[in-house]
Amino acid sequence: MAADLTDVVPTTGAVSTRPPDSSVRRAQRGGASALHRGPGRWIVLTLVVLVAVTMMVPFAIMLLNAFKSPAEYSQNGPLSLPTHLYTDGLVNFWNRVQYPGKLANSIMISGAVAILATLVSLLNAYALGIGRVRGRLSIVTLFLLANMLPQEALIYPLYWLAKQTHLYNTQLVVIIIFTAIQSAFGTYLLSSVFSTFPPSVLEAASLDGANRWQVLWRVVFPISRPTLAVLVIFFFIWTWNEFFIPLVMLIDNATQTIPVALASLQGDRLMDAPTINAGSLISLLPAVIFFLIFQRTLTRGITAGAVK
Amino acid sequence: MKRRAGLLAGLLTIPLALAACSSGAASDGTSASGDSSAASGATTLKLWHYEGDTSAMGIAWTEAIKVFETEHPGVTVEFEQKAFEQIQQTAGMVLSSDQGPDIMEYNKGNATAGLLASQGLLTDLTAVATERGWDAKLSSSLQTTARYDDKGIMGSGSWYGVPNYGEFVTVYYNKDLFAKNGIEVPTTLAEMETAMDTFVAAGVTPLAMSGAEYPAGQLYYELALSKADRDFVNAYQTFTAPVDFAKDPLKSGAETFDQWIQKGYVSTDSASLKAEDMGLGFIAGTYPMMVSGSWWYGRMVSDITGFDWGVFNFPGNKLNAGSSGNLWVVPENSKAKDLAYDFIDITMRPEIQALLGNNGGLPIAANAADITDPKSKELISAFNEVLDNDGLAFYPDWPVPGYYDVLVAGFQKLINQSASPQAVLDEIGTAYQDGAANAG
Amino acid sequence: MTTLSADRVRKRARSRASYWLYLIPGGLLFAVVIAAPFGMNLYYSLTKWPGLGSPRWVGLDNYVRLMGDDTFWMSFRNSLAMIVAMVVVPTLLGLLLAAVLFDYLGKRFPSRVASVLRATYYLPQILPVAVAGILWGWILNPQTGALNVLLRRVGLDSLALNWLGSTSTALPTVMMVMIWVQIGYPVVIFMAALSRVDPELYEAAELDGAGWFRRFRAITIPQIKPETFVVTLTCTIAALKVFGPIYVLTKGGPENSTNVPSYFSYQSYFPKSQVGYGAAISTVLTVIVVIVSIVFMRVQAVSERKEGS
Repeated sequence: MAADLTDVVPTTGAVSTRPPDSSVRRAQRGGASALHRGPGRWIVLTLVVLVAVTMMVPFAIMLLNAFKSPAEYSQNGPLSLPTHLYTDGLVNFWNRVQYPGKLANSIMISGAVAILATLVSLLNAYALGIGRVRGRLSIVTLFLLANMLPQEALIYPLYWLAKQTHLYNTQLVVIIIFTAIQSAFGTYLLSSVFSTFPPSVLEAASLDGANRWQVLWRVVFPISRPTLAVLVIFFFIWTWNEFFIPLVMLIDNATQTIPVALASLQGDRLMDAPTINAGSLISLLPAVIFFLIFQRTLTRGITAGAVK
Repeated sequence: MKRRAGLLAGLLTIPLALAACSSGAASDGTSASGDSSAASGATTLKLWHYEGDTSAMGIAWTEAIKVFETEHPGVTVEFEQKAFEQIQQTAGMVLSSDQGPDIMEYNKGNATAGLLASQGLLTDLTAVATERGWDAKLSSSLQTTARYDDKGIMGSGSWYGVPNYGEFVTVYYNKDLFAKNGIEVPTTLAEMETAMDTFVAAGVTPLAMSGAEYPAGQLYYELALSKADRDFVNAYQTFTAPVDFAKDPLKSGAETFDQWIQKGYVSTDSASLKAEDMGLGFIAGTYPMMVSGSWWYGRMVSDITGFDWGVFNFPGNKLNAGSSGNLWVVPENSKAKDLAYDFIDITMRPEIQALLGNNGGLPIAANAADITDPKSKELISAFNEVLDNDGLAFYPDWPVPGYYDVLVAGFQKLINQSASPQAVLDEIGTAYQDGAANAG
Repeated sequence: MTTLSADRVRKRARSRASYWLYLIPGGLLFAVVIAAPFGMNLYYSLTKWPGLGSPRWVGLDNYVRLMGDDTFWMSFRNSLAMIVAMVVVPTLLGLLLAAVLFDYLGKRFPSRVASVLRATYYLPQILPVAVAGILWGWILNPQTGALNVLLRRVGLDSLALNWLGSTSTALPTVMMVMIWVQIGYPVVIFMAALSRVDPELYEAAELDGAGWFRRFRAITIPQIKPETFVVTLTCTIAALKVFGPIYVLTKGGPENSTNVPSYFSYQSYFPKSQVGYGAAISTVLTVIVVIVSIVFMRVQAVSERKEGS
């Protein structure tokens, strides 16, 4: 579809029909921006910051309770300001769930899924978007079924299959399952993007004697790298937060992920709210850091690879 | 490599899956377990429970593990604390596999331990219980939850689990607020209502409540039990006779609940509150009373600092919601059954039981003299009062799987005053009858 | 000439065929993890089964029962509300926010400002849903919650409602929380999409005197149509099968007023141990999601073709 875009770009509606000379434009750009540096921009900024602040309120409350002693929490409730900085909650959580081990498990599983699912998406999309194999729309829809099935519908059969293959209670089974589920989204997105891939580039490559495999890695892969990076980020974060399937499939503490460890703080009838908050805070951090590191990639554009 | 072969094998067997699904679990279960006390020669005991490490059970069981390891040199206990939710939702799957523990804590009741027992996933402990004298240590209403028949209904049949502790629903009260309003501890339901009227007149909502979780259903059950006898409890819980929801005691339970809402004893905006909110409300001193379970006790001891508090049993009730605590069960696939029995035996010892009792738990086989903590003594004597009446009546949501959500939805309607008690009784009655028809 | 083209046709056919090879890993994975379990689940839906032991064949009984189950129909009505909260509003708001961040603020403030704001909007997506449930419970608590305390403090006592507790406000409240959860996803995707659009387009429009809003309508929206399709479809699927937030916020209550199909099927699968009935619910849900998605993808294909020509 992005190729459709490249086609559309020059003729889009309201845009001027006379392509202005670039030097003229450059000269005028400065002036136009200067015009917009008025007070209006502060009003807009205030508005979007206000939205952001409102959205951060729950996080502020989490922060408040992560550093509050259980007694203080019980006495004054979740909304009071802590009278002193209480860090035992963090320490407790760290030791109780053996956080470093869980962190390693979560990184391992999410990382493996992010890479494998992106790879599978790339292969699928190569066949569907560039190869344009017959019935591609139906195939994409079929793949998307992975996203559409409610997870609880999959759990009994997957448990049974995992047991039969002796993969029950291994991280490998979780990786396999999520690679399948996440790559459905990747296949859909990438094959839409690839279907717009300029044929001229491909033809040039094959004239140079490159075969399909080489075209994939030497031409398609480099160009679509930004889009692939976005997929890696999404898959990592989505898998990071998955709860239900790891809960069922990973029964040993040694194999479990962070969200499952967090759940152990919520008992049958009682919960340990301060520790949950402290735990959430340090469980959230790796994903946030991951997001911030790769934020730049997001700027480059989810479909950036397809254009030009 | 091996894994890949396994995966392939799995693929090939998919068509068989439809026919053979999970028959493995059932057939495993039939293997005899009679020679239970024969030494397994195992050098590890894989043990799972889901109690917090600062709870009474957590403290007592940590000690029991230590004792076990001293008495079994050469055996390591591989202990893992599990998420309640994980055990709750996946116990059947875990125990059908060969990756499960050798011994674990599990929820009592038809829908949990009963279901697993009827599918042959739990070891029959009847012989061991007699041999080791556990049956003599537990009073009859505590034994109810340990035994299940072949359909998985509690109360009769073989032993499939051993409880270590008890729990029951009682009334927590704020002594300072009682004194301030000149109110005495009520001994009858009428006195309780008078006391609550006094609070309402003083502008205080007397009862902390949570409509989104178990407390509302338990209050209704307490109110119903005030007019019930043991025959009703047996009929309601184990289907020994039909139960009519349009008649007392259930009718009066729902109607009184409704009146209490109308009289302002319970805040009308508590429909969405969770049990945690209710507890926080009482701990903060906002509400003078809270009708809830002994599981709060340890939390109250450690967290209430601003006022003096105590407990009294629901006024006038001979029967109270309550039961044995969760069970120790030995999975059929356990590789160290003999060690598991030894461990259970240790948890029943007076010194471990005393530890449990002194930390806010309710021991079931402790020597009274060993309980030294005064606060714990108060709770244990309240519990003994119930046990002396053989008064544990279990919980309202037990008989039918999934009944919990039905009760929550029903009593939210009463709290919100969006339905009449009759309509609610009708609704929860229908769900109960449907479930009873499906049982077994 | 003819032989040459015949040869080319053959070659192209062969090369087309070779593309199928690339579908093998994904196809295998799909067969094992999705197709086979879906088939098994379909079989369960025709049985009575507590999750252990052997399923007992009951034919279409579960489906017949489903048709007469009020909660089931109610849960689908709530699905429509979820679509509003998870698709319509986040997509529109996300489009606006992304455009403002990228195209307005991005040009008037250092680029860091927009990045920080985007990260902020995305944060709820990273928060584990179980924790989000606890936090929102505290905020929305009718007695002590931050929201009502604030409302009472500024004298708006009549607005301090029983947010999650009353049947009239629970669904709208859950919808608000879902918008909060969801908004970051379209913002991130749309901002990425905008960075793809040729800046010369905007500059040309600006020269023509087109105002910001006019450019937004005439350039931004048509340019990022592909992403809009992706966002709407994936969010619609997510909305139809939403589970976690309902589970942690209201458990479908009060009085089932916020129950959704996925939570309803979960209730059957786990607390009630009625796997057969749960499987029937999830099968119907899947069929509906599939139909919606197919319609969606057809529309997308038609729209692509129209623009392509």
